[in-house]
Amino acid sequence: MTRRELLAALATAPLLRAKEAPTAPVSIARSRTYDDDLGGTLSTMFDQLGGLGRLVKNKTVTIKVNLTGSPGLRFEGKPLGLTHYTHPKMAAAMAYLLERSGARRVRFVESCWASGGPMEEYLLDSGWNVRMLFGAAKAVEFENTNALGNGKQYVRLKVPGGGTIYPAFDLNHAYHDTDVFMSMAKLKNHATCGVTLSMKNCFGITPASIYGDDAGEQEPNENPTKGRGEVCHFGKRQPAKSALPEIDPNSSRQPGYRMPRIVADLAATRPIDIALIDGIETVTGGEGPWIRGLKHVKPGVIIAGTNAVTTDAVATAVMGYDPRADHGTAPFVDCDNTLRLAEAHGIGTTDLKNIDIRGLSIQEATFRF
Amino acid sequence: MLFALLLMAAAPDWVPARWNSSDPKSLDLLAQTPINCILLESTDWSESIAKAAAGRGIATLGVVHPGAGAVDLSRKAIALKMTGIALDGDFDPKIREALADSKIPVIELPSRAKMRLDDRSAPVIGTNQGLWPGVQVEENGATKAAPSGAPWIDTNTGFLRFVRAYTSSPVWIANKPPPGMVIPVQRYVQAIGDAAIAGARWVIALDDDFNRRLLAGEPRAAADWKKIGANLKFYESHREWRAYRPHSDLALVEDTGSGALLSGGVLDMIAVKHTPVKPVPNPKLSAESMKDAKLAVDVDPSSLTPAQKEVLRDFTRGGGTLLSGPPNWKFPTPQNSEITLGKDDFTKLDEIWKEVNGLTGRRNLGARLFNVSSMLSNLLESPDGKQMILHLVNYSDYPVESITAHVLGTFQHARLYTPESEPRDLQVYKVEEGTGIDIEKINIVATLVLE
Repeated sequence: MTRRELLAALATAPLLRAKEAPTAPVSIARSRTYDDDLGGTLSTMFDQLGGLGRLVKNKTVTIKVNLTGSPGLRFEGKPLGLTHYTHPKMAAAMAYLLERSGARRVRFVESCWASGGPMEEYLLDSGWNVRMLFGAAKAVEFENTNALGNGKQYVRLKVPGGGTIYPAFDLNHAYHDTDVFMSMAKLKNHATCGVTLSMKNCFGITPASIYGDDAGEQEPNENPTKGRGEVCHFGKRQPAKSALPEIDPNSSRQPGYRMPRIVADLAATRPIDIALIDGIETVTGGEGPWIRGLKHVKPGVIIAGTNAVTTDAVATAVMGYDPRADHGTAPFVDCDNTLRLAEAHGIGTTDLKNIDIRGLSIQEATFRF
Repeated sequence: MLFALLLMAAAPDWVPARWNSSDPKSLDLLAQTPINCILLESTDWSESIAKAAAGRGIATLGVVHPGAGAVDLSRKAIALKMTGIALDGDFDPKIREALADSKIPVIELPSRAKMRLDDRSAPVIGTNQGLWPGVQVEENGATKAAPSGAPWIDTNTGFLRFVRAYTSSPVWIANKPPPGMVIPVQRYVQAIGDAAIAGARWVIALDDDFNRRLLAGEPRAAADWKKIGANLKFYESHREWRAYRPHSDLALVEDTGSGALLSGGVLDMIAVKHTPVKPVPNPKLSAESMKDAKLAVDVDPSSLTPAQKEVLRDFTRGGGTLLSGPPNWKFPTPQNSEITLGKDDFTKLDEIWKEVNGLTGRRNLGARLFNVSSMLSNLLESPDGKQMILHLVNYSDYPVESITAHVLGTFQHARLYTPESEPRDLQVYKVEEGTGIDIEKINIVATLVLE
């Protein structure tokens, strides 16, 4: 074990700095279908959190949606928003609410799978009505952050504390040129990380042009066509040399070691100002149709907060898990606990006793994955 | 002689089905469908069914399989006053001479490799080989992906579009459903659509269980049969669409020697990506066939004659972009029961895909479609060029919602035709490439008409 691995392991030890990590309230709401009044529900939730206006008025809000995997891959042929993608009605309701709360600009972003093309086209392929979304607020923009996009150069964001896998991340400008950053995630299991919620959603902010399996050796590949498995999950190769390489190429190559650390580091590097987790309809057993044993379910909940760790901790509890569970305990059977790694970064607490839960209680909202 | 000519003249309008009953009363089931031609196995032959069918304006074709008694059996069908004969399989060519004196239509349904595409006298160009259309699922339940990343759809459309480009005769595909499978009705509708969007007809063939239940009058089977009839009616009530020609800026020059008779080949691969493409069989390669193309893919340059090569040289001199395949791009002709690519050919196909994708990129070559991963399409234009149609077939078991089409050119009107509802006008809007249209939902088949 290297010194850095030892430090990382200590960071996930049971006597973690749970009490020292900051906390923030989390709202849980009931919503059974996407035909419900989502705008009204979200409005109530943000009122419970202190109001949306104070967070977004006159600001640019960047929303990272969750459109994981190719839009061509459907689970049981169902619309993507009912299974593993962010539902377009959730996005439209949020854009409308942001507009009403005074946001100056709403920018939807995603590193679209295996594509450097316009995000609008990717959304159309995902069954989103882009024209309707443009109409949801005055200034709506879209940017595919899988490559340079509309930016002139990538921005380098250093990981606070030096990082565990990479010391810094080179990202699309959209993650820097924003006042408020929102993660609009889906309530799901994840084959590698146990759960994928607001923080894991933001693994997708890494551009495949640099961190993808067909990234250039020296420079970014502005037409990426692959995922990030070899670079990020397995560490079989380094990112394009235009970005900083791994801190310790001799560290574990296990995805269950690497991915939780990359995700926690990203959450510290590009803090999430608003975490919104859609659990109205989703899947259990994995993050997408390429995982065996997937099941379509209807938990009928939405979870929101202004701290990614507290929000993800509550969401993990709603899924029927202990958000502080150790490696080897469900849902973190083959991986380290991303939430506790993020807690160790000082982002937020995973201790439910220290989280003020508003709206539904965890008991009322629990849907066992 | 006149009678024979009349029969031949009727053949283009025949809507065929394999019919597994000798009972004249079973023909009542056809009344609610456009089926007007039945293919009967010899066990179901009788003068009474032939007579009853004729009385209803239904043609009867006696199905004859290869074997020593094929000629005698054919003569028996003639004696029973059946309308014609369907030679179902690969026969010795001498059988045609032996039956030449009969003056009745002989429909040949051989394997793909034995199809006589150049036979202008044939009432129908057909084959009995086809894939059972649908999204291909692997053993572990996952959807198999194509080289393009989209789900792989088993389809006969690439092959049928090539045949339609080769011949102006009616085209039939007479494959049967896979045995031992429970087949939901939507799979039959997909099979009908799979052939129809290419301008061909699938010879309706029910699985044994469905057939038994239908003939026994089971209500659910009757409801499914009604649905099949409605979908046949949908395409047969727009027969003019069969005369429309492919519309695309991209031409695919291929021939029987470069995989055109195979399923899963280059044409299917491009179609899965919803890139409109115009198949140009080598013998049809001319300045006229290339006149609207801006891009062309020549799968196997070595198979072209000097005159054909000159056509492509003129095409590039005129500003067209040509992607010529290296010699190893050659695909095998179908062998016996094999009508799909072999394992090694898939590697080749993947290479071709990269080249073609590099050539076409995100360009709009006639239409770009979004949220259609489980669908196939065919973009066609009317002979006068005033109307464009976009055929769509959904191969999944669920309806597809929120489909978007960006069509090159300016269109004022868009109307969606489906078998289950009245035609409805859709809003058209301007997009960078031309005209945008949103389609709310498609169950299995639909056709968008643009003017």
